[in-house]
Amino acid sequence: MAKEMAMLHDVSRCTGCRACMVACKQWKNLPAENTPFDGEYQSHKSLSSKTYNLVKMNERVEDGKFHWDMIKVQCMHCDNPACLKGCPEDAISKTDSGAVVIDRDKCVGCGYCAINCPFDVPKIDEKTHISTKCNLCVDRIENGMVPSCAQTCTASAINFGTKEEMTALAQERLTAVKASFPNAQLYGVDKNGVGGTHMTYILTDKPSVYGLPDDPKTSDAINLWKDIIRPIGKFAGVAAIVGCAGAYTLSKVISSKHKAHKENEKGGDKHVD
Amino acid sequence: MLIDKKYVPRHEKSFIICHWLNAGSFLMLFLTALPLYADTFRFLYDIFGAHTLQILHRVFAVVFIATPIIGLLIARKGFGTLAKEVLSFDKDDMVFMQKFPPELIGVHPSGMPKQTFYNGGEKMNISLQAIIWLLLVVSGLVIWFGNGIIGKEMLAWLIPLHSIAAGIGFAAAIGHIYLAASVNPDSMRGMQKGNIDARYANAHHGKWIDELIAKGELTREEVDKAIGIKQEKPNTKIG
Repeated sequence: MAKEMAMLHDVSRCTGCRACMVACKQWKNLPAENTPFDGEYQSHKSLSSKTYNLVKMNERVEDGKFHWDMIKVQCMHCDNPACLKGCPEDAISKTDSGAVVIDRDKCVGCGYCAINCPFDVPKIDEKTHISTKCNLCVDRIENGMVPSCAQTCTASAINFGTKEEMTALAQERLTAVKASFPNAQLYGVDKNGVGGTHMTYILTDKPSVYGLPDDPKTSDAINLWKDIIRPIGKFAGVAAIVGCAGAYTLSKVISSKHKAHKENEKGGDKHVD
Repeated sequence: MLIDKKYVPRHEKSFIICHWLNAGSFLMLFLTALPLYADTFRFLYDIFGAHTLQILHRVFAVVFIATPIIGLLIARKGFGTLAKEVLSFDKDDMVFMQKFPPELIGVHPSGMPKQTFYNGGEKMNISLQAIIWLLLVVSGLVIWFGNGIIGKEMLAWLIPLHSIAAGIGFAAAIGHIYLAASVNPDSMRGMQKGNIDARYANAHHGKWIDELIAKGELTREEVDKAIGIKQEKPNTKIG
């Protein structure tokens, strides 16, 4: 499949039923996690190596009015992924469909993807020491199916299709949502600091309300490290060793010459001038 | 007082231990992180397991961080001298730095000013290593513990910073090892037995010997005698 795909979560339609979380666990064969009850509806605190998809249910009171901010959180499948750039083992790749995928065999669990991800998505599994996250059900979508979360969504809050279809749908829905939520806006649909994302949103309020960064960015530091510092570092290391070996050889040559010279002159200063 | 009428006491035992703890932990830190730098060393992960090396990196990091802190408690004299010497970088050290390069290939330059406990080059290396230690420790600790506390953008910059510091530290270490082992093998004894040949000390750290004589810790006679004994022997080695 060569077509660029995208997922759109319309938070205004989300009922917080968490069927998507169950469907994800089912398809990915992930175990349930015991989570404590903290007096609120949100189950897991954050994504984990056993939970690739989480519905956040944040309770908020603003101007005396209660808001329940629900959002489906998962890998954003950035167009310019910081995790991919930062991976020293080239274990992360982006498919033509836009899914960002971790190769389990190449991953060494160094955690650089977790450090670099502006959305704090990848989690290193404590047992396998391998980085984990949503892969947009790449196995399903490349066979013409939709991701399991989108498949199961009862409220049509999760939509999946080509990037163009989802962009058009997002624009259309935004106009409708704005009538009830004047602050409504799209997230990730257009190009941004991470190149745009393949997980996109219609938010009813500003991104920070949902815990999303206002201006996510794939740092220049990652390119600097991978494209410049690593190659220069390798060169400098080899150069230091070769340089010392060269200096050593030269010093031996000079000392043997000097010895011959000194024998001719019989004595002289022990220092070469 | 010279040891065996020949050697000038230079480093205390505890300081020597700190030196080798620092050297050993740095080398191990470098090796355990090397596969992340260069795919050529991926085999280290394959042999020992990536997770094992990542844990070892943290273990040696603790040694690397703790060494100078413990050193300040058990090797005050050595670290005191180190600090005093670095802060007294002067004109003679500049002259040393200018005249020093031929020494790298075993040519001893003439007109070298007398050097103190540490020569200009050593002072530069000490300052560089101290800066690199600080950079590695700060960036390393934040990468280790900072995710979720420090901003993402800041965190992303610490990885290249950590790598640059490690790379420069490694290059400096190679130079340091070369100078000690090949150019000035007599200096090695200082970091093994804690004392160095009086003849070498006088030639390379003349000002320090003068200071020791002025303090009454050595006498000019015993130094001259130690050097004289050496000079009577047939000279087979240059420098």
